[in-house]
Amino acid sequence: MTQANIVRKTYSKKKMKKLNNIQGFVFSCFPVLRFAIFGFIPLVVGLLMAFLPMKFNFDVISAMQQGFTLNNFKEVLTDPIFWKSIGNTFYLALSWPISMIIALLVSILLTKEIKGKPFYRTVYFIPFICSLVAVTLMWNVILDHKYGVANNVIEWLTGTRINWKGDSKWYRFGLICMTVWSTTGYKIIILTAALTSVNKNLYEAASLDGANAFEKVINVTLPAISPTIFYLFVTGLIDVLQEFTRSQVWDRLGGPNSTGITMVFYLYREAFTYSNMGTASAVAWILSIMIILITILNFALSKKWVNYD
Amino acid sequence: MTKKTKKIRMANLKKTLSKIGIYVVLTFVALCVLAPLYVVLITSFKTKAEAMDPSFTFWPKEFDLHGYIEVFTYTSGTSDTMPTVVRGFINSMIICIPTSIIGTLVSALAAFAFSKLKYKSKNFLFTTLLVTMMIPGTISMIPSYILFDSIGWVDSFLPLMVPAMLGSASCVFFMRQFFYSIPNELMECSEMDGLGNFGIFVRVILPLSGPALIAQFLLSFVGTYNAYLGPLIYLQSPENYTLQIALNFFRGTYTTDWAVVMAGATVSLLPTLILFLFGQKYFIDGIATTGIKM
Repeated sequence: MTQANIVRKTYSKKKMKKLNNIQGFVFSCFPVLRFAIFGFIPLVVGLLMAFLPMKFNFDVISAMQQGFTLNNFKEVLTDPIFWKSIGNTFYLALSWPISMIIALLVSILLTKEIKGKPFYRTVYFIPFICSLVAVTLMWNVILDHKYGVANNVIEWLTGTRINWKGDSKWYRFGLICMTVWSTTGYKIIILTAALTSVNKNLYEAASLDGANAFEKVINVTLPAISPTIFYLFVTGLIDVLQEFTRSQVWDRLGGPNSTGITMVFYLYREAFTYSNMGTASAVAWILSIMIILITILNFALSKKWVNYD
Repeated sequence: MTKKTKKIRMANLKKTLSKIGIYVVLTFVALCVLAPLYVVLITSFKTKAEAMDPSFTFWPKEFDLHGYIEVFTYTSGTSDTMPTVVRGFINSMIICIPTSIIGTLVSALAAFAFSKLKYKSKNFLFTTLLVTMMIPGTISMIPSYILFDSIGWVDSFLPLMVPAMLGSASCVFFMRQFFYSIPNELMECSEMDGLGNFGIFVRVILPLSGPALIAQFLLSFVGTYNAYLGPLIYLQSPENYTLQIALNFFRGTYTTDWAVVMAGATVSLLPTLILFLFGQKYFIDGIATTGIKM
């Protein structure tokens, strides 16, 4: 190699480094830009709006001239429906443990030596890709008081018909059933993937210790896949706390006695039915702080039960 | 017969029984998934009288297409003469296809930089992206609406397309994980051949990432296609409705004829079901890998 070549090479290395700094930034800035423009700016504006009088007024600047106020929070926190919406939302969160138990059972069975695994996996995954609107209309037909097939079966079994859309208790139960139907398949796919990567030697060791099938699940399987369960718990809880579509499509008025009003539904109604962007922003902030706190709590508690070996 | 063979027989019997048990449970769960969808399909082919009959029939007495005819002829009554559902489907495609393709590619480009390049701002950008994943989407919903309203984007497709085209954090994470599995030596070879960073991304990395890209494209497509809250807020005139909004709008007119509503539901479910039928491997692999690497 000649002297000139070596000089050129070190020169180009420096240049390359600079070029990499620029290109790396440009290549990876778009998703971050998305957050900055469509996430961070609204976040700040939303915080302002929560303290501004914005009923029938979409203009932040003119609202600011009227001055900041705590009225939005006062109005929201004294509204019994708002408190009810928190309760409703957490009630619906019960769908998570139910679908988790079903998913665990099914995915453990799917790891056994059986035929037709791909078929079962395909079927279980179908609800994940189905439109929530279409699925909710489907349940609306199935769970109808008078014409629904569910009530036909229930009447044949028990002699009574259930008033799904007229009775708060059953309305809640209906929503939970819908959520379980839609969300279990996704969990099954993720859990099966996690289960197949569990070290087989652990099971043999447990067998030598005389553990039965149930003990193996409790002492070997569950700890081994605890990171996956944790992942599903965190993401599932964030989703379920933002539940909206099912309850709004099933009954856009919010179900019997406002049982279907979830927190996001309440927020949506404040903003787009009552045109009050101020109270809606206040609710958005309360909801988000709740979600963030719960997520932090989850991570803190995870040290106690999630096993990252 | 010796004691030993008896014992083996008992063990075999136990094994067969537990296997039958497994099949029973798995098939029962599969039926729970399929039965409601069957109700949709079968109701969509019933006559109005049969669809609204209190005693449910598991097979239509006579196959009737009036549900589908209504679905494909109903118009919203505005100046738009195209059937609402057809218009909704076209709108959905206009939104979903470019958004998913561009969004996936932009995310992949960012993931390429995060996994394969060395540069100064990398850690800062990546941490910011990590934080954004933790922020619930609903917090920015109302102010976003106000902002889009002030620049005249409400009742257009733009609020549903532009942000998504800049890529998504979850897609970046998935692709980044995938790119780590591509050996760095391959990049070094290409560098020798005189390819720049972008050239390496387009000519070397992308051709190697087919399945991962398809998986992310499909997931993003289905997500945008099925979206409800965003389109509900931003699209106001019926000619702009996506299929999901059109379906719910149209359902209000046919509260007393379920054959029509279920025909509409079938029509909106079919596109994703067909995609899933052909691309199930991508869907399932795409989902399965997200859970492990957390």
